[in-house]
Amino acid sequence: MSDWRRQTVSNHRPPGRPLPHGVIDRFWQEAAALREAESVLREVYRRWGYTEYIPPTFEYAETLSTGTGAPLQEQMYRFFDRDGKVLALRPDMTIPTARLVGSKLFDQPFPQRYFYTGPVFRYQEPVAGMPREFYQAGVELLGAADPEADAEVLALAVASLQTLGLARFRLVLGQMAFFRGLLESLQLDPADAAVLHSALDRKSAPELQELVSRWGLRGRLREALLTLPQLHGTQGVLAAATKVALNDTMRSALENLRAVERVAALYGIKEMITLDLAEVRGMEYYTGITFEGFVPGLGVAVLSGGRYDHLVGAFGRPQPAVGFAITLDRVLRAWEAQGTQPVVWSPQVVVGGELTRKTLTEVRRLREAGVRVVCYYEAEQAEVVRSYAMAWHIPGVVWCDREAVLAWWEGHARALPSEAWADEVMGWVCGTSR
Amino acid sequence: MGVRNVSIGEEIRIALPKGRLEADARALFVAAGLMAENGPASRVLLWPGQEPGVAFLLAKPADVPVYVEHGVADLGVVGLDVLREGQYDVYEPMLLPFGHCRLSVAVPKDKVNTYHSLRLHPNPRVATKYPNLARAFFHARGVSPEIIPLSGSVELGPLVGLADVIVDLVQTGRTLRENGLVEVRVILHSQAVLIANRASYRLKEARVKAILERLQRAVK
Repeated sequence: MSDWRRQTVSNHRPPGRPLPHGVIDRFWQEAAALREAESVLREVYRRWGYTEYIPPTFEYAETLSTGTGAPLQEQMYRFFDRDGKVLALRPDMTIPTARLVGSKLFDQPFPQRYFYTGPVFRYQEPVAGMPREFYQAGVELLGAADPEADAEVLALAVASLQTLGLARFRLVLGQMAFFRGLLESLQLDPADAAVLHSALDRKSAPELQELVSRWGLRGRLREALLTLPQLHGTQGVLAAATKVALNDTMRSALENLRAVERVAALYGIKEMITLDLAEVRGMEYYTGITFEGFVPGLGVAVLSGGRYDHLVGAFGRPQPAVGFAITLDRVLRAWEAQGTQPVVWSPQVVVGGELTRKTLTEVRRLREAGVRVVCYYEAEQAEVVRSYAMAWHIPGVVWCDREAVLAWWEGHARALPSEAWADEVMGWVCGTSR
Repeated sequence: MGVRNVSIGEEIRIALPKGRLEADARALFVAAGLMAENGPASRVLLWPGQEPGVAFLLAKPADVPVYVEHGVADLGVVGLDVLREGQYDVYEPMLLPFGHCRLSVAVPKDKVNTYHSLRLHPNPRVATKYPNLARAFFHARGVSPEIIPLSGSVELGPLVGLADVIVDLVQTGRTLRENGLVEVRVILHSQAVLIANRASYRLKEARVKAILERLQRAVK
């Protein structure tokens, strides 16, 4: 028996072609699952009235640096245009969206809602489903400052994770202005503020204690700083936070969270939300609520977003804005960890034998009905086609020669009429899922 | 792919470091009632705790934050020296009262005067197990060191002429003295710290909080 494997696998092995660190090929299951996640999200975003924006893959580095902090800027891939101008690959999609709206669509009616999907590029150590080129699908709601807009985006985040089939996720909700308010009262210089930011980001009890004693903090300031890491959970967080709030900035941050929670309750998503006032993670440009989505089975956030009211203004007419992005590579990891049924990526039927007009007509009918069909050429025997089908997990095999039409479904022989056999095969395909 | 075996249920997995901190870490969890007093032999790497839903695993110290960052362990015990040497995206909610030591710069006794001002040496050769912390320390002083990464017996470096200075952990200072070295700067005061995975901290919030409180009581 001639076996396709013996034909293709030989002693000759082509030399490996290396890929740059953190750059990956996506094929088979991985590619199908990524597109599946993308199309699921695309559909959810459309239903919420968001329209697609396809940002350029690269633009001026200076533009992409607007409103971002040093970390994201250091992570940008930069290169020169022919005229010597510095270009960069987009490190996220929010900045191009802010540029689009601030500088081009500023005189169109607001609010405006956009979604995007595609790869972004960051020079970073690849960790937990975040290679250097990774895929995002996200939304931005521009021109609405209300807590209702914050809640809409949170509810859309919940709907997205639910539609992806991710079970038992949590959204962790913070408020950047609470931290900003704390900084106002502490009157730290930028270097010290950065140290505090980093300590809070890691909920580092050791560092916070050290900072309190290094800066000689006493009374309410000391209490606020040391209490902050405990201000998280689902119950009583806002009440506890109100007690340590030092100024109006902090108080109005809490007022905003209260309002967002109220609307979130109307959407029926309040029980998926954990508050965390020490959450200072995220982009430098965030000004109000910030949030991250965590799912069981994945040690890192699958979704992150927040309000950025000053970014659009950096490109033109100011507009408040809020949005989030889901990292598709991490959705794939979460699916895998949660044991989600893998996306079927292989063809469903392979047809071999003598390719007559009659056979090809049946093949066309199958394809028109949405069945994924491939033809196998040059096989002398049905066995060759069957072993090819087995290797590629193709359930259906049809062998046509002069005498008869033979068929197998999932390895078992099935009878087929010699004419109009496509209907029969369609029945088998429909009998299984997808 | 570290995320594959993340415990999906409510089990809390705690990573403990082999070696220097191991005995104290075990004692802490025994005191908190989370680990049986007669723990398994040290070759067992993964074993259940004193109560259902808690499990322990034993790892090389430098691997503890890796396990926790990827979520295969929810909590971990690690020295600040190891934690700061790498860049790990984990929470560090609690200091633990053991494993005290310092990461220091030490030089041969006869060169103490020469190294009185580190910044006067344009390109010192630095032997260390902590290349990142050592580099950052010298860079902050405008000095470009030549880092010589070693994985043990760092004190040997200056003796055999491999390095001018060393950056290493100092507990009592005895090893340094015995090798004719003198501590000239402290880079970091280290001790054990409890770390937590960012996702576990939310998804298993109640259990993590309960364990933190029990440890807090055991420490007092």
